[in-house]
Amino acid sequence: MRYMLIMEAPESMAMGGPDAPPQDEIFEAMSRYNNDLVEAGVLLAAEGLTPSSDGFLVTHDGEGASVTDGPFSEAKELVAGFWILEVSSREEAVQWARRCPIGPGVTLQVRRIAEMADLEGIAPAEVLDAEATLRRRVAEREQV
Amino acid sequence: MRFMLLLKYDEAAAMATPPDPAMFEEMGRFNTAMVDAGVLLAGEGLTPSSQGAAVTFDGEEPTVSDGPFTEAKELVGGFWILKVDSLAEALSWAKRAPFRSGERLEVRRVAEAEDFEGVAPQEVLDAEEELRARQAQQHG
Repeated sequence: MRYMLIMEAPESMAMGGPDAPPQDEIFEAMSRYNNDLVEAGVLLAAEGLTPSSDGFLVTHDGEGASVTDGPFSEAKELVAGFWILEVSSREEAVQWARRCPIGPGVTLQVRRIAEMADLEGIAPAEVLDAEATLRRRVAEREQV
Repeated sequence: MRFMLLLKYDEAAAMATPPDPAMFEEMGRFNTAMVDAGVLLAGEGLTPSSQGAAVTFDGEEPTVSDGPFTEAKELVGGFWILKVDSLAEALSWAKRAPFRSGERLEVRRVAEAEDFEGVAPQEVLDAEEELRARQAQQHG
């Protein structure tokens, strides 16, 4: 089963922000943590996001999309990055989350990623078949 | 450049409305359009927060609370990661995404190795590059 660890933190704690932790220390600790995940063979993906000033929000009001540029100053916490793990239980995902070297004020959401089996009987079968084909196409392209 | 589209939604409201088969079809068409254009790197949906947990780092030991996260107004419901040439291109895909009411998309740029040059120690950047290669070999 796959779990996503979503790191949420106040943006003031992001790199370059006023409450950012000592950089070299945190980079090294994070590097060791990522290394442990790879050694254990559980890491499928991990990425960090840039500050919300590089981003934007798209909201639909039923008629069309409206766009608001970042930074998202009204948000208390923002997604700062994520990990995707392949583990054998929810407990294993929680244990990895607990080991993450992050400081006070940060929350990791541990969320199970939906698998095809979750959608069987809910989504139309032809949509599920099409989805399986799409996933193969994406995977083939990535290996090029 | 890579962008992450985070789908944010009100879980309680979404639970009250059963999923509509037409919505799955619309989502399938949107995903197909992105694959046809060669921009989709990854896309996943998350299960309800009742299957999850929150780990909070606020003291000596992290605190674990089981889902559902009823106090959260908005939760991440899923995401896409796109590889595009510009912010404008990411924006135009985000505007085409099928939405249900009460949902919104947060579009965020994914950090690249260059973003950390001169910020993270060089040996950490080198180690990171090596890790990515090993990770790709294991699961690619």
